[in-house]
Amino acid sequence: MNTQEYISSGIIESYVLGLASSEEQLEFEQLCAAHPEIQQAKEAFELTLEQHTVANAIAPPADIKQKIWTQIQPTTAQVVKMKPAKNRLPSTAPVKKMNLSTYIAAASVILLLTSTVLNFYFYRQYQSSIAKLDELVKNQEQLVNNNSIMQTKLQQYESSLSMIRNPNMAVIAMKGQAINPSGLSTVYWDTQTKDVYLLVNNLPQPALDKQYQLWAIVDGKPVDAGVFDMKDADGLVKMKNIPQAQAFAITLEKKGGSASPTLAAMYVMGKV
Amino acid sequence: MNTTVRYTEQELVTSLKARDEQSFSYLYDNYSGALYSIVLQIVPDKELANDVLQEVFVNLWKKIESYDTTKGRLFTWMLNVARNLAIDMVRSKGYQNSQKNQQLPDTEYYDKAGGVTQLSVDNIGLRKIVGKLKTEHRVLIDLAYFKGYTHEEIAEIESLPLGTVKTRIRSALTQLRAYLK
Repeated sequence: MNTQEYISSGIIESYVLGLASSEEQLEFEQLCAAHPEIQQAKEAFELTLEQHTVANAIAPPADIKQKIWTQIQPTTAQVVKMKPAKNRLPSTAPVKKMNLSTYIAAASVILLLTSTVLNFYFYRQYQSSIAKLDELVKNQEQLVNNNSIMQTKLQQYESSLSMIRNPNMAVIAMKGQAINPSGLSTVYWDTQTKDVYLLVNNLPQPALDKQYQLWAIVDGKPVDAGVFDMKDADGLVKMKNIPQAQAFAITLEKKGGSASPTLAAMYVMGKV
Repeated sequence: MNTTVRYTEQELVTSLKARDEQSFSYLYDNYSGALYSIVLQIVPDKELANDVLQEVFVNLWKKIESYDTTKGRLFTWMLNVARNLAIDMVRSKGYQNSQKNQQLPDTEYYDKAGGVTQLSVDNIGLRKIVGKLKTEHRVLIDLAYFKGYTHEEIAEIESLPLGTVKTRIRSALTQLRAYLK
């Protein structure tokens, strides 16, 4: 191949100006590598073209450079400007996190306060309920007690009433004596069982160290029929069994009763 | 001189590949005019040429890695990038449509300052030299270099045998070289 002919064939210009086909390009590059004079001729043309073009330069509008810089900035900024941006990110990110955690903290505090208040409120409610329940339980116990008391009393009354209804029951009214004329008591004496029951209709409250004592008068002699307390005397009080008697009387004696009645302190007496 | 220029060019290429903004600024300051000139020879509309020039430099910055020093000078690479982008613009549908609209009779184009936006590019750079060629050569160089048609496409457009197109273009290029010197 004639190198000089090849150099002056126009292939160099075609290659440098970008008009050569890809096959021509490949061939040219191989020949350039093999023939330094082709390479030199190519470089010479490149330089000529560059010098000519630079000599014929037309200054672009002044603002274009800035526009280009704005466009390439994102790429360069990744190296240069992203640093402050990255620095800013962690500083903004914690702030955002702070904000979030602040919200969470605030919410927690509010929840805690609410919870505390509610706890206190419910505790008070609970305490109040416990107190009310205690009261109710006490009331209920009271009612049960009252009920049993009432039941007992009712039974007493019923037994008293049944005794009074008893056709065998002798009723002896004991009238007030000189010491207390308005006094009145009644002896219910079962003529079959000989059981004696006393009903205090009206007797004055005795002194604390005194007690009323019922006596049966048998053949002119007083027989002890038992002592009783006024607190038991709101119904029939069962006294001692008395087989036989002509009269009954109540005297005020020392607590526990006496062997023989104090006649001066006879409050009521009635004959059978 | 040749070696000095090559050395500084190598330095420039090294700095550019290292993404050094200062070297890119140097590149713009020294070559934007030359590249703007070649863009204008292909895209006569100033506004569009401005856009293309921006695109050229953005591409140079982004694609500096792909520049192979063994294949040619940095300027040759830049010139081809500029030419290719300018041709892409001219061949785009948007440009074709705008050209059709602008081909109304008695219509002149003025920018805001009242100056003509459409440059007469026949008297600048390579165009000026191409203008010295015989018509049969000038037309082919215009189609091949400034409009970016392949030899095959030109053969079809001009209804010429492919061999004739190749021969005429080669001949035209050797003449251009002589004129450049």
